[in-house]
Amino acid sequence: MSTIEIKNLSKKFQRTGASDETAVTAIESLDLWIEDGEFYTLVGPSGCGKSTLLDILAGLSTPSQGEMLVDGQPIAGPSLERSVVFQQYALFPWLTAAANVQIGLESQTRHGKGLGKVERRARAHEYLRLVGLEGVEDKYPHELSGGMRQRVAIARALAHEPKVLLMDEPFAALDAQTREQLQDLLLDIWKRTKTTIVFITHGIEEAVYLGQKVAVMSAKPGKIKEIVNIDLQDRQSVDDIRSTQQFGEYRHHIWNLLHSRAAQESPAQFEKTLITSGAHA
Amino acid sequence: MSTLTLEEQQISLERSVAPAKYSTGRLGKTLRKTLYSSGAIIGFLLVWELVPQFVLEPASKVFLPPLHEVLQQLWKMIISGDLLTHVSASLGRSAIGFLLAVVIGVPVGLVVAWFSKVGDFLNPLLEVFRNTAALALLPVFTLLLGIGELSKVSIVLYAAFFPVLLNTILGARSVDPLLIRAGRTLGLNNFEIFSKVVLPASVPIIFTGIRMAGTSAVLVLIAAEMIGAKAGLGYLITNSQASFLIPKMYAAILTVAVLGFVVNAALVALERHFSRWARA
Repeated sequence: MSTIEIKNLSKKFQRTGASDETAVTAIESLDLWIEDGEFYTLVGPSGCGKSTLLDILAGLSTPSQGEMLVDGQPIAGPSLERSVVFQQYALFPWLTAAANVQIGLESQTRHGKGLGKVERRARAHEYLRLVGLEGVEDKYPHELSGGMRQRVAIARALAHEPKVLLMDEPFAALDAQTREQLQDLLLDIWKRTKTTIVFITHGIEEAVYLGQKVAVMSAKPGKIKEIVNIDLQDRQSVDDIRSTQQFGEYRHHIWNLLHSRAAQESPAQFEKTLITSGAHA
Repeated sequence: MSTLTLEEQQISLERSVAPAKYSTGRLGKTLRKTLYSSGAIIGFLLVWELVPQFVLEPASKVFLPPLHEVLQQLWKMIISGDLLTHVSASLGRSAIGFLLAVVIGVPVGLVVAWFSKVGDFLNPLLEVFRNTAALALLPVFTLLLGIGELSKVSIVLYAAFFPVLLNTILGARSVDPLLIRAGRTLGLNNFEIFSKVVLPASVPIIFTGIRMAGTSAVLVLIAAEMIGAKAGLGYLITNSQASFLIPKMYAAILTVAVLGFVVNAALVALERHFSRWARA
């Protein structure tokens, strides 16, 4: 429902506390074009600026240079059009699952184009059902498992029907089995809603499994190294697609792209990379 | 060295076993714990009862009457309504001072936390005030406000204000920035971020401050009443002592202890209620 256009984008951070006020370049002249309804994954090492990029897309941070357009409009701050799912769930712990899901809907209502109270409640239940969580509407986040919390977070991000879903390593904190379940859930939701999804990960397999396109990033400074078109058949129509030869080739190709970069890095540079990632984590 | 290792093993063993124990024998454990923790109190009361009767010389016994005499005196004061007068005088003063501290302290704390520059500017001064024992200022309050209700409520307000204020600032400042970011992406404006994210997120820490304030409100008031008052438990203690009504003095002290205990328990329960989501 929305195209995203990133033109010559750079982001620098002033390093505070250091005696020399050197700026750290997190992202340097990055260009990216994301089609309407595309599932786009970004993979890269720590400190490649992928989280910074997502922050800028979300409107939580502004670029130092360049432009980011959604449907031709520049991004001016956070918006309900672009929802974010964070790695650490970021649920409001004092609200029940259903109340968490309704936060965005309530904002819409306040801006005068939303639903009434009863409809909001119904919508929250509907989206909790969509993510496979029936019967936990009145539970608090601390009563839910990590996987369930992230499901609630996904429901919360989708309930107000955004045009773009931004996901910042959403499954990184989950165990392998839960992660695979949620990957499939996300694919189902994407097929159904046709929402444009930008998905950040450091897992190569996850990037290949989910993405129609994988942007491989390199660090110091953050750049797109290569965009890999993933031409796999429907993920869930084949048994264990991850073990097919084609999947393995994509995985290996991306691994090479990431690995060649890492091999070039001296230990000192690697340390700097870590600092950079700390600066915008 | 080897015993240490053994101890460590013991600890890790207990840890791994603890959850199972907890789920099966929870009631039994609570009961045993209650008995165990009240044992010390029962022992103390027994000592209080028996030592004056069998150990102390009659001359000293006058200054430390056995428990049953104190309880008889207490009962008399309950029947006559004498105790109620003093308890309500004390409770009224501390409640007013305490509530004023909460009503002023929470909003001021939130404002200070929100405008971080104001906070940085005021913080050193607040630390000085907080670390000045409220009772050290009692003479100042008495000089400026007299010995009436106003000065007593004021000293309670002063003593209760800083725990509330400082905990509110702490609470509002330690809100997880991720929740604020999430709030922004969900369409909340600045005011809504404040009222729907910062405020509820800081409630547990604010209530810790409120509990501390409640305890110090009672403590400071009793001391203030001992110095100059016409009613109240502090007054009852000093006045009984001066009139050589020793059992009466102990009855008043016992009441203070029970009151402090009850106030604290009530505030702890309140704190638990408002921060139940935070105990993940």
